[in-house]
Amino acid sequence: MLILNCPNCGKRSVGEFRFGGEYNPRPKAPETVEDEAWSEYLYMRKNASGFQKEWWFHNSGCGVWFLAERDTKTQEVFKTCLWNSEPVGEPDIAK
Amino acid sequence: MPNEATQTAGSSANDAPNRLSSVDEEVIDRSQILKFEFNGKTFSAHPGDTVGSALAAAGVKVLSRSFKYHRPRGMLCCAGQCPNCLVQIGDEPNVRACRRPVEEGLSVKSQNVWPSLETDALAMTRFASAFMPVGFYYKTFIRPKALWPYYEAFIRRAAGLGEVDKSAAPGKYDKAYLHADVVVIGGGPAGINAAVSAAEQGARVLLFDENTDTGGHLRFSPESRERVEELRKSLETQPGVKVYTDTTVVGSYLDKWIAAVRGNRLFKIRTQSVVVATGAIETPLMFDNNDLPGIMLGSAVQRLLKLYGVAPGKRALIVTGNDDGWEVARDLHRAGVAIAAVVDERDETVSPACDEIRKANIPVHFRHTIAEAVGSGEVAGATIVALDALGEVKAGTGKSLKCDLLVVSMGWTPDTGLVHMLGGSSSYDEHLAESLPEKLPEGVYTAGRIEGALEQDEEVDRAKAAGARAAAFSGHGTAPEESIESHDCRIRSSDRVVVPGEQKQFLCYCEDVTGEDLQTAIIEGYDSVELLKRYSTISMGPCQGKMCSRNALHLCARVTERSVNETGRTTTRPPVAPVPLGVLAGQNMEPVQVSPVHQWHVDQKARMMVAGLWLRPEHYGDPVAEVAAVRERVGLMDVSTLGKLQLTGSGVPDLLERVYINQWRNLRVGRVRYGVMCTDEGVVMDDGVCARAGEASWYMTTTSSGATSVYQWLQWWAQSGWGDGVHIKNVTENHAAFNLAGPRSREVLQQLTDRDLSDAKFPYMRMRSVRISGVLCRVLRIGFTGELSYEIHCPSGYAQYIWEALMAAGEAFGIKPFGVEAQRVLRLEKGHIIVGQDTDAMTDPVSADMAWAVKLEKADFLGKPSLVRMAKSASRQRLVGFTTADPDRVPDEGLQIVEIDDHGKQISVGWVTSCRFSPTLGHTIGLCWLPTDVANVEGSRFQIREEGEFREASVHHGPFYDPQGERVRM
Repeated sequence: MLILNCPNCGKRSVGEFRFGGEYNPRPKAPETVEDEAWSEYLYMRKNASGFQKEWWFHNSGCGVWFLAERDTKTQEVFKTCLWNSEPVGEPDIAK
Repeated sequence: MPNEATQTAGSSANDAPNRLSSVDEEVIDRSQILKFEFNGKTFSAHPGDTVGSALAAAGVKVLSRSFKYHRPRGMLCCAGQCPNCLVQIGDEPNVRACRRPVEEGLSVKSQNVWPSLETDALAMTRFASAFMPVGFYYKTFIRPKALWPYYEAFIRRAAGLGEVDKSAAPGKYDKAYLHADVVVIGGGPAGINAAVSAAEQGARVLLFDENTDTGGHLRFSPESRERVEELRKSLETQPGVKVYTDTTVVGSYLDKWIAAVRGNRLFKIRTQSVVVATGAIETPLMFDNNDLPGIMLGSAVQRLLKLYGVAPGKRALIVTGNDDGWEVARDLHRAGVAIAAVVDERDETVSPACDEIRKANIPVHFRHTIAEAVGSGEVAGATIVALDALGEVKAGTGKSLKCDLLVVSMGWTPDTGLVHMLGGSSSYDEHLAESLPEKLPEGVYTAGRIEGALEQDEEVDRAKAAGARAAAFSGHGTAPEESIESHDCRIRSSDRVVVPGEQKQFLCYCEDVTGEDLQTAIIEGYDSVELLKRYSTISMGPCQGKMCSRNALHLCARVTERSVNETGRTTTRPPVAPVPLGVLAGQNMEPVQVSPVHQWHVDQKARMMVAGLWLRPEHYGDPVAEVAAVRERVGLMDVSTLGKLQLTGSGVPDLLERVYINQWRNLRVGRVRYGVMCTDEGVVMDDGVCARAGEASWYMTTTSSGATSVYQWLQWWAQSGWGDGVHIKNVTENHAAFNLAGPRSREVLQQLTDRDLSDAKFPYMRMRSVRISGVLCRVLRIGFTGELSYEIHCPSGYAQYIWEALMAAGEAFGIKPFGVEAQRVLRLEKGHIIVGQDTDAMTDPVSADMAWAVKLEKADFLGKPSLVRMAKSASRQRLVGFTTADPDRVPDEGLQIVEIDDHGKQISVGWVTSCRFSPTLGHTIGLCWLPTDVANVEGSRFQIREEGEFREASVHHGPFYDPQGERVRM
C-alpha cells in the first residue's frame, strides 16, 4: 500500500485517501472555449505511463484536497502539495 | 488384545514400519498416540507428526494422483513446496499433508481420484496422452460447437483439485496490523542472526518463519542441535524481537507493505526495512519416470529422518551432484536403511560422509548419474549410467539397481520470490548454477543461503551486517562501513537438470508438463518465457514454479541457445504460498450507519432496508396506511440520512452560484430554495434545498447518497480557487432530521413550541429557528411529499427526545411514522424526481423537466458551457409522468419502452424509472423516459415491454396529485 505524504497530516497509507483524477484544470474563460477544446477538457485525459500530476482527497483524515506528482509506472511519489502552495503563474480557475 | 496404553514409546508399532527409534532432533512426542483416517483406513501418529510424516512412517508411498494424467504421486519435497501431497482434510481442500499437523480424528482423503487412489479410472488418460500434448485445450474441445456442453461436463468432472462443501459453515477469519522497523523473513540461522543484530541497534524487529519452530534447515541438518539451541536462546534473550512462527509471509506490496498469514489470520505489516532470509529450495532432476512415488529430494529425506524419525524406504539409491547427497546417504545408512549405491556425477568428493559410506562397503559410483526410474505405481529400481569427461551420458553403460527409495540431491534455487516483489532482481551465476539476488532497492537486504552457499562464519557475519544495515536504514544505529567481501560460494548445485531419455520426464509436477511438452511449445514458437509459461502452464500450479522454474529456464535456454540470464524469468507475484480465500476476505462484516433514532424503528418492528451506507426503515408494516396517514392527517419520517452542510463566509453566494445551475445571490435570509447541481458536462449530479440562515450563513441539504460526494465536490472547488471567504462544515451526522408531514402537521408542531407557526408567520419555502420542547432546532418548511410539512433539524443528541415528543404530540391526531416506501409513493404522486433513480449519468436538467432551474443568464457555473450547447437543439428524450391503461398493473422500474420499427424489429426508446400503485388516486403512476415527440403530447400512448408482453401506458404531464400545489401552501 502506497504511502502518501498529506500536506497536513504527514505520511499515511493510501487507503486513507480518495483518488481525485488527473490534474485537469478548468479553462480560464469557458465561454470562449471552442467545442473541441471543451470536449477535450471534459473527456480527454493524458493517462500518462510515467509522470502524472493528480488530485488526492484525505477522506479518512483532515479532508484536504492536494496534488501529488507520481510516476504511474514505478509508483514513486515525487511530491505532494496543496493547490495554492506553489503558484504556477495565474490560477487556472477564473475568479 | 493390547490396548493403546501398553504400546511402548519409541518402538515401531505394527502400523508404522518406517518409524525409527528416537532421534535427538525429533519434534514428535512418542508418549502419545493419535489416530486419523486416510481414505477410510485408520493410521497412527504422534503429536508433532504431520499427516505426511505419519503416512510415511506407515509405509504409505502414494498420496495423490496428478492433475492431468492421474499418475500416482508421493512425497517429493516434504517442505510444502511441491503439489504431490495435496489432500482433502474434512471440508478443506488442497492441504499439504507434509505440513499439516496431525490431530486426533482427522479425516484425510485423496483428491482428484475416482473411484479411489488405487484404482483411479481417470488414469486412463495416460493412454490418451498423445491426444493431450501441451496446450491441447487450445486445439481440442472446440468443434463441433454443439458438443461443448458434453465436453464441459466431462472436463468439469475430470479437472480440478479438491471439493468444496457448500454446506460447510463459514470459517472465522480476521486480520491484524503490525508495525515494525525491520521485518526479517525466515527464521533460520541467518534470519535469527539478522534479527538479533537489528534489535541490538534498537530497532523493533518482527521475525517470521513458516515452521512451528525457528531454526530453519538446522532443525534437520547433521550435528546442528547445539547451534539451534544457541540461536533460539539468543532470540529469547534479545529484547526488541517479536517472533511469529507458523506464519508465512506471502507477499510484499508498495512501500514495504507486507502480507503474512498464520492459520486464519492475515497480518498486514508496514515496515521500514526488510531482510529476506528465505533460504533455497531443492529442485528435482528430470529423467525417465522421475515422478514415481518413492523418489524424494535429499532435504525431504533429512526432514523425515530428523524431525519425525521416519525412514521412507528400506533400500535407497542416492543420486547426487553435491556433498549434501552424501550426508543424506550417511544418515540413511546410520538409520539402518540399506543403500543400493551412491551415484555422484562428479569425479570425487572430500565429504567425510563419503569415507563412512565407503567403509561400510556400499557401492559408490562417481561420474555416474541416473537415466531412468522403474516401477509400477512406485519406484522399484533404477538404471544408472556413466558419464564421459564432458559430462555426457555414455551409451551402453546402463546398470540396473533395485531400490524402493530414490534420493535426488542435484540442485537448489534460492527462494528469491519476495526479493523480486520488493523490487530486487536476481541473476544466474553460471559457475554456481544458481540464480542469486543481484540488485536490491533501498531498505531491502538479503541474508543466508539465499545469497549462495557460504562458509558458516562468513554467513553469520553477513547476516549480522544485513540486520545492522536494516536497522540503520530504519533510523536505528549505524550501518557497518564496508560491505563484507564474499568469498566464493561453495558449489551445491549441478547445472544438469535433465538426463535425456525416451519416456516421460516431468518438468512440472503440478500441471503434468513433460520436458518434451516444453520443447514442443518452444518449437511451436512460444520461446519467450512469459509466453511459454502461459501456453504450457508450467509454474501456474500449486507450486508456482518452486519445483520447475529452475529446470524450465535451463531447458528453455538450451533449446533456444541462449544463456539462462538471456532467457529471463517470469514475474513473481503474490502470494508466494497458497492462501485460503477466506483469509483474504476477512471477517464477514457489512457495516451500516444508523440514525440516532434507529432503536425506536427496530422496536416498532420496522422493516429495515440498506440504502447506500445507511440502514433505514422501509415501512412499519403497512406502507399504504402510512401514505394515507400523511395525506389525511400527519406522519413522521426519519430523514436523518440527508446530507447537511453548513457554509459560512462572504464568499458563499459566489460559490453557490458556480456549483448550482440556479440563482442564489438574491436569496434572502430565512428563505429556502430548491437547487440542482450539474457537472461540467451538464449532467445532473445532485439536488437538494439550500437555505439562507443569515447574511453569511447558509444551510445546504443534499440527497442521502450524495452527502459525501457533494461535500468533497464543494471542497475541491473551494480549495482550488473558488474558496475565498468560504468555510464548509459537514454536519450530516451531527444533525438528525425529521419530516413532519400532513395537513395536521402544523397543529402537532404548535403544541411543542411558542413560536407562531401560522402560514403568515412561517410561509412555504422558509427556514426558521424554532425551539421545540425546549431544544433549538432548524425548521424548513418544504414539501417533498406534497403536503404541509416541516423538516426539523436538531442536534443528534436530542434526536430521540424530539422524535418522541413529536410522536406524543401527534397521537391525538392519529400520527403514524412513515418510511422510505411511503415517501417514494408520496413524492411520485407529486411527480418529484429522485436524482440517481429517475436520472442517470447522462441526464441533463432540461430533459429531466428542470429547465426552469437552469439560469443561463448567470456569468458562469459548472455545466453552463455544456448546457448552452445543448440549448441549441431540442433534447432527444424527456422525463415525463405516465399512467397505465390497466390501472392495477404496476410495471417494474427499469422495464424498457419499446417501439416497432419499419422492419418489425423491436427497439428500445425509453424506460420506466419510477412506478407505484397510488393508493391516494387508485391507479398506477410512474415516471419514464420517452422520445421528446411522444413525451411532449399529453395522453400519447406507448408500450412498456414486460416479459415479452406489451403493457399500454400514456403520458401524463404535471403532478398526479394536487397539481396546483395548494396543499403544501396551507
